[in-house]
Amino acid sequence: MATFHLKVLTTERCFFDDEVEQIVVRTTQGDAGILPNHIPYTAALGIGGLTIIQNGAERVAAIAGGFVDVSKEQTVVLARTCEWADEIDINRAREAAERARQKLQQKASEHEQDVAQVKLKKAVNRMRIAGEK
Amino acid sequence: MASGNMKDIKRRIKSVQSTMQITKAMELVASSKMRRAKERALAARPYFNTMYETITRLAAATRDGDSIYTRHREVKNSLYLVIAGDRGLAGGYNANLFKLAAAQMAGKNAQVITIGKKAQEHYAKRPWPVVSDYPGIAETMRISDTHPIVHDLLSLFRDGKVDEVFLCYTEFISPLQQDAKCIQLLPASFERAEQEKPAGPQVLTEYDPSPEAVFDAIIPEYLYGVLYGATVESFCSEQSARRMAMEAASDNAGEMIENLNLSYNRARQAAITQEITEIVAGSGEVGA
Repeated sequence: MATFHLKVLTTERCFFDDEVEQIVVRTTQGDAGILPNHIPYTAALGIGGLTIIQNGAERVAAIAGGFVDVSKEQTVVLARTCEWADEIDINRAREAAERARQKLQQKASEHEQDVAQVKLKKAVNRMRIAGEK
Repeated sequence: MASGNMKDIKRRIKSVQSTMQITKAMELVASSKMRRAKERALAARPYFNTMYETITRLAAATRDGDSIYTRHREVKNSLYLVIAGDRGLAGGYNANLFKLAAAQMAGKNAQVITIGKKAQEHYAKRPWPVVSDYPGIAETMRISDTHPIVHDLLSLFRDGKVDEVFLCYTEFISPLQQDAKCIQLLPASFERAEQEKPAGPQVLTEYDPSPEAVFDAIIPEYLYGVLYGATVESFCSEQSARRMAMEAASDNAGEMIENLNLSYNRARQAAITQEITEIVAGSGEVGA
């Protein structure tokens, strides 16, 4: 099966760097599937999952923020945070979700509300990805 | 008299020795911290290089429909982000940066966001208004630490309260050389050298949903990245500046101890000689 080169980079490490068959990534506009010979494509990422299909096997990671850039040579995903489903600390995610919910209950400034909202989304996303596995 | 002198010298040797122990320990701590910071800076580099490439390409694609982040306006107010250390005793590290920042801010209507305890202390006593302080984040810097800072500066910029944003940090060139630098963050310019453009037909890239929207979404991302990189690099510079300063201090202390030992031995000999003279003189008198 045809493959293409995928690189997933975060600020802390090179998360993934190999040939893959297909990826599905959550952009701000919804999930986008990328197959070999995709046209050049750039999109900002939302909070969601990154599915990598390599040698027929599927791996899922939780991803939040950043962008994806598809060029002829390779596909690059620059992620603010990115973790494999089995790396996710489910208890930490649960606690974070709880904290964010409490914060939303309180009367906080608009900015703080926004921050809590995003934190909640990220935590819920982590829980979803970890649970899916 | 002579024994008093000897005691004095002995005391001084002891005090210099204990100072040397401290400077030596600080040197070791700084060099191990520097090593770790350097690894972090290196790990982040591929991310930023790719980010920069993409954003330059994007900027070229969106040249017609310009974004508020790239449009130049008449400059009335400027904002400076100053990244300095959290601690002193790092040679000229903090002073060099403040000197550069002051030179840059001269004659402008400048406001300041400080990162690092030393910057906070410095600007608290200066006439420039401080928007916000972020002390003590450099050592354990994470990309999420940059979010509130970028939020601050973007909201000021979008509301037209500031018309340009600069970043002052210290570039890590080598363990022996660090340079204070000032770069412009906003309005961003990503001018690519014309000859770099590939010859032949250009492949059109699809932007989802539009080049402008992608560009506006990536700009904060880019700022997070730049800020993170600059802070990590500054921290690295701070540690190597401290290591150098402490190395020099330890060397000086060693030299001082050597000199003091010499004086101590001289004083000791002088005391012995005097004692002998006194005994000889005394015994001569008794014998006569």
